[in-house]
Amino acid sequence: MTAVALTPRPARFRPARFRPARFRTVRALRLEFKHSPVVRVLPILAALFYVNAYRTAAGFPPTWTVRASVITGSNLVFFSVIAAGIAAWVATREGRRQTGDLLATTARVAWARQATVLAATAFWMVLAYLAGVAVIYIQTARQATWGGPPLWPVAVGVMGVAASCAVGFTCGTLLPGRFTAPIVAVAVFAAWFAGVAAANNVNNASNGMKGTSALLVAATGRPQNIDVGVYYHVPPDVSIAQVMLMGGVLLGLLGLLPAARVPGVRGLSFAAGRRLTVVAAAGVACGVAASATAFALAGTARYSFTTGWEIPALLDAADDQPVPYTLDCTGSVFKVCIHPAFEPYLGAMSAPLQLAAAEIAGLPGAPVRAEMTTGNTLPAVAGTTSVYDYSTEQEGFGDASFWATPAIARTADWEQGVQEDFITWFVSGPAEQDSPGPTPAEEAVAIALLAKIGAPVPQYPQFSQPGTQPGASSASSTSGASATQSGASAAQITAAASGFESLSSAARHAWLAANLAGLRSGTITLAQLP
Amino acid sequence: MTAAEVKTPPVPPTPSTPPTPSASASASAARRLAAGVRLAWLHLRSRRVPSALLALALCGGALRAVLHWHLMSGGALAQQGPMVIEAGAAVVIAITTHSPFGEAERATGRWLPYLRLGAALALTGIAIGALQLGVTGASLPGGVLILARNVIGITGIGLLASLVTGGLLAWIPPLGYLGFAEYALNAAWRNPWTWPVRPPADRGAWICAAGVFAVGLAAVTFRGARTSLADND
Repeated sequence: MTAVALTPRPARFRPARFRPARFRTVRALRLEFKHSPVVRVLPILAALFYVNAYRTAAGFPPTWTVRASVITGSNLVFFSVIAAGIAAWVATREGRRQTGDLLATTARVAWARQATVLAATAFWMVLAYLAGVAVIYIQTARQATWGGPPLWPVAVGVMGVAASCAVGFTCGTLLPGRFTAPIVAVAVFAAWFAGVAAANNVNNASNGMKGTSALLVAATGRPQNIDVGVYYHVPPDVSIAQVMLMGGVLLGLLGLLPAARVPGVRGLSFAAGRRLTVVAAAGVACGVAASATAFALAGTARYSFTTGWEIPALLDAADDQPVPYTLDCTGSVFKVCIHPAFEPYLGAMSAPLQLAAAEIAGLPGAPVRAEMTTGNTLPAVAGTTSVYDYSTEQEGFGDASFWATPAIARTADWEQGVQEDFITWFVSGPAEQDSPGPTPAEEAVAIALLAKIGAPVPQYPQFSQPGTQPGASSASSTSGASATQSGASAAQITAAASGFESLSSAARHAWLAANLAGLRSGTITLAQLP
Repeated sequence: MTAAEVKTPPVPPTPSTPPTPSASASASAARRLAAGVRLAWLHLRSRRVPSALLALALCGGALRAVLHWHLMSGGALAQQGPMVIEAGAAVVIAITTHSPFGEAERATGRWLPYLRLGAALALTGIAIGALQLGVTGASLPGGVLILARNVIGITGIGLLASLVTGGLLAWIPPLGYLGFAEYALNAAWRNPWTWPVRPPADRGAWICAAGVFAVGLAAVTFRGARTSLADND
């Protein structure tokens, strides 16, 4: 018996336990999460998010689809760029530290080791991206009055960030070097911009609106229509194709990883055995197939003026049905109604319209109600309807655009723009439908009526051209009723408006009641105004 | 480089006639020149300057391709696209500040600051030249003045960043600045520090870009890029 044999066994001694493989993977992942360099880049990502996404979204009207366009626009571009660069950086870690031969002696397969690093990088990047999405969605939820958060753009963004990580990681693994990370980041930046240029071009109506592979890149900038997703659901077709493309890229590049060589060990690849090589090859094949399918599907897309881009193979008929809603209305004598999605603008619409409606109350054909309608629908001809239709896309003579935030809509300029459009519509009748604009006589009457409620002169052609202040010579309308009165200058119109405005309220009202039909038809000239 | 490479056999003294003073002086000058050239070459190799030159040539080619095939045309993209590639050239220069020898290199002599200064200046000039060569015959928005100002200014940011992040990660802050510049372009900002969006002859923008470059160059010349373990993350 030796002294060693007599040594009592410590009470805390435990025999070595067998640790299942899945726990070792979790532990390796936890270590990678803890030491990921992405954490150090988060302040820069936060600053880029604030400048490029948060501020942009805050400047958009509070409707879900419009605000959500930001998260797949410039926000996704910058997250992808940093994700690709950082992923390329972490992929070169073993080569940089010259630990390839050391780690080759461990039990874990090199491919699994690298996949853990990629998973940790992608986890942090996707988490940061989702945090940004949450900020934008929370901000929108506090301001939006209708609808809910669209989830397909989030899926596109998450897949885009993950695919960018895979691109960077694969480049860093296959081409290790100190310039790999920045070159990959800049290449992803340039590729995004090239894609965005093509995608923005696809949405240009002059190009025939034909479906092309450029649809697979999310366009930047604001959407074409402000009421997108309001009257009709946005079909997820294009988003599905985008997810399919980026998922294919992700899968294909992950499949390429086993082909890489372990740095510092000659002849040793990441793939430890034939089975992994076969699985990787199958992954590459599936990825290529998914991306090719997405390309093919995008080519068959067609543009619908109600719902946007649709892919027939992915189209759900339910998406073409209008979304039911109940108008929000206010006012008693003159009702102003608005779509619930634009309820924050109701006050900014109602106050100026009530004032303008009171000025024309009692005249023949005076409307008793204002309603918001969809898209580019032109309002019904004044005098033939008791409802003044206005839409979010309508371009009037004033500064009232629904692209402004509700806070901006409550300013005097915006409200006066609403009055200018309303009064011009009322006095110009069918002339406005024919698009040459109101006649000089109609303009003079509108200016006088607007002056009575404190609104400035609208941006009529004679008043909006450079250097044509009241008193200068003017351009004139060329067709329709206004053509019969061409040649009136801004000064002449202003003088006639001043004369009409100087009439007593009763006299002005009486003249309008008697001559409104003639004024709208264009038979009354500027000289015939009292 | 290993110790074996510097083990050259000693040259045995030849029993010939002693050299004249003038021949000795010229031989000494030639030896110093050869040593200087070798020192500069070793410094450039340790910074991967030959690879950087290749990367700068690639940037020039990429800019040429973008302009030739109108890959980023239309609206603000026409200006944003070249800006991205100019930033790419700038970050390549910033990456070359990384030294593989760490702090030990700082104790090797008095020529290191001169070598750093010369390398950064030469690469900046080569970058501008390569990009300008790439756009020859094509229409670059703003012309060579904006190209040069962007390369100078963003290189300055990269050089400054290398003091904080180390040379290998010095590409991140310039790309972050590029993100600000893209937004400034869309939002029509007018601040001089957003020099990529200012007109070619804007004095404030030139002062800002040149100032950042001068500060970054001076800092890298005298201190060098950070050589902490952060580079090994």
